[in-house]
Amino acid sequence: MELFLSVVYSGLLLGGTYALVALGLALVFGAMKIINLSHGELVVLAAYIAYTVEARTGVNPMYAIPLAVVVVCVCNLIVYLLISRIRHDRELNSLLLTYGLGVVLTNSMLLIWSADLRSTSSEWMQEAASMGPFSSMRSELIAFVISGALMLVLWRWLSKSWYGRAVRAVSSNREAAALMGINPFRAELVSFLVAGLLASFAGVSIYSSQVIQPALGPHLTITAFIITVLAGVGSIHGVFIGAVLLGVSEALTTVFLSSSMRELSGMVILILVLFMLPNGLFGATARRG
Amino acid sequence: MTLKKWNYSLLCGLSILASVARAEEFVVGVHLPLTGSMARTGLGVQQGLTVAAELFNRNGGKYTIKLVTIDDETQPPKGIAAVEKLAAEGAVAITGGYGSPIVGPASEAADKAGLVYLTSGSADERMSRRGFKGFFRINGNADVYPKALAQLITEQGLTSISLMYSTKKATTDLANDLTKLLGSKVKVTLQAFDSATTDYKPLITKIKLQDKPDAIVMSAYESDYIGILRAAKVVKPAVKAMIGAWVLLSPKMVTEFPDLMNNVYGTASLTYPSSYTSAEGKSFHDAYRKLYNSDPDYTGHNGYMQGTLLFKAIARAADKGTLKQKNGLAEELRAVPVETLSGPLKFDEFGDNILFRESMGQFQNGKIQVVSPKERATAKMVFPAVPW
Repeated sequence: MELFLSVVYSGLLLGGTYALVALGLALVFGAMKIINLSHGELVVLAAYIAYTVEARTGVNPMYAIPLAVVVVCVCNLIVYLLISRIRHDRELNSLLLTYGLGVVLTNSMLLIWSADLRSTSSEWMQEAASMGPFSSMRSELIAFVISGALMLVLWRWLSKSWYGRAVRAVSSNREAAALMGINPFRAELVSFLVAGLLASFAGVSIYSSQVIQPALGPHLTITAFIITVLAGVGSIHGVFIGAVLLGVSEALTTVFLSSSMRELSGMVILILVLFMLPNGLFGATARRG
Repeated sequence: MTLKKWNYSLLCGLSILASVARAEEFVVGVHLPLTGSMARTGLGVQQGLTVAAELFNRNGGKYTIKLVTIDDETQPPKGIAAVEKLAAEGAVAITGGYGSPIVGPASEAADKAGLVYLTSGSADERMSRRGFKGFFRINGNADVYPKALAQLITEQGLTSISLMYSTKKATTDLANDLTKLLGSKVKVTLQAFDSATTDYKPLITKIKLQDKPDAIVMSAYESDYIGILRAAKVVKPAVKAMIGAWVLLSPKMVTEFPDLMNNVYGTASLTYPSSYTSAEGKSFHDAYRKLYNSDPDYTGHNGYMQGTLLFKAIARAADKGTLKQKNGLAEELRAVPVETLSGPLKFDEFGDNILFRESMGQFQNGKIQVVSPKERATAKMVFPAVPW
């Protein structure tokens, strides 16, 4: 029982990190029907900014969040400006464009920071936070709390704020939203900037608890995409629940079946969910709402 | 300075310039993973090769070497394309390659082009058993690593281990070979993990609560090691040692993650900080430091070794007029045992370095010391001891 509880706990924390990565992708996907394939690379960029700040100043990597937000949001702004110039087949052509931008970002990071593995040297972040059978690094707990808090803030922003509602309106019907006085360009731009902000938090959290290297981006994008589809397009709380489900299932599979089946378990869940709920776990409900 | 000395210096300078001007240049093709998941290792080998070429050319012999390098992006098809392109550009030999999945097809392309292929980046036993006359590797066969690990485990008197291994081919083979070597003397519990794993706490918790071994042995790569050691620091299993295989005890790891590495064991052919005593070793070390402002690690060391070995063989074959003949360079490489930075080297009929021996090191208070086998030890092993 102790093993089971500790494994579920590890899965929960891992799910929290997954959710942080997926929230930004899900927001853009929900708002613009665009899959930003460079999202993982932007997360890694934020992680490298945290590394640079920590290596240069010796401070806790969490202090790098403001700088990471600025840099990643500027990059995401450029991504959006390029996407906005696409005139035909925006969904398809944006895939090619963002994939290419991801490659450029990865190789730029390789040139700037080299291929060496990086991770935080902050002992405070790495210290064990144990309670009964539950053990984790302090940084993992912090990432989980940040993830939950950002999910709530994002959900509230989308449902209560004017800009949040504008983003949802543009996502529902771009032309109708424009007729209602909403500037679609501005609403989409805001959603990209918020996605950049979320990617910054995700990157700094990943740097604080895992190992980073420039080629990590595509793996993060794929994980985020699986979670987004699992959750259902446009569902923010679904992203958090889907991420936790994925994290727990991976941890349980690793220990009680085989670690080599870890990724397979996530795929099986995805296929089962899509088979029974084609719009994802919360997609249909959200659309009806 | 007197007029006579000036004249003498001028004469020397002119003669060096004249010899360089006369020197025949040979192109050596290099393909390495300079981007992608193996980029760090590839860059290390490239640096060693660059130093080898610079020192070879600086000696002012009859021949000079021009390295033409192509990034294979850690992808087998790009490795093949790189070798074909290098062959078309007139390379007299191919070197580099890292990881058996890339070295395999790339060396096959070199064989088809009739070129020698020399690597330090493949341990798969089957590589040298394909009947290619021009395939050589300085790191020998894969069995040296499990042998070194088994010897350490025997010397430590461990009776049970949990063997955590990445499901990639080389690491799985190492785990299987080690299990066979240990036989019934040591109880081995295998714990496989996917190479994309980021959280190792569940596995370490399982080892702590179910396996309860004397030691944890890791057959993995750098990012896995960091994750496993971090997870072990949090979960704290009651073990006597944390033992890893290749790429664990590298200068990069011990300088960037010193808090994780203390008392950890891993395969190590070099101590750190490096202590080269031979004239060639000192010359390599100085040139490396000058170029890269850091101490060479084993990848740079191997890159230098394979480069120097190849360039000297090219020069010998060119002297004999056999360089352009079929198997001329291969026969030159296989001809005699040669002295290298890591000691004597001799290739067998398969192209394996039969004199290659691996040692086990331990990170002790900021230094990598060789601790096993005893006859090659530079320090006494600290045992039992873990990083936390």
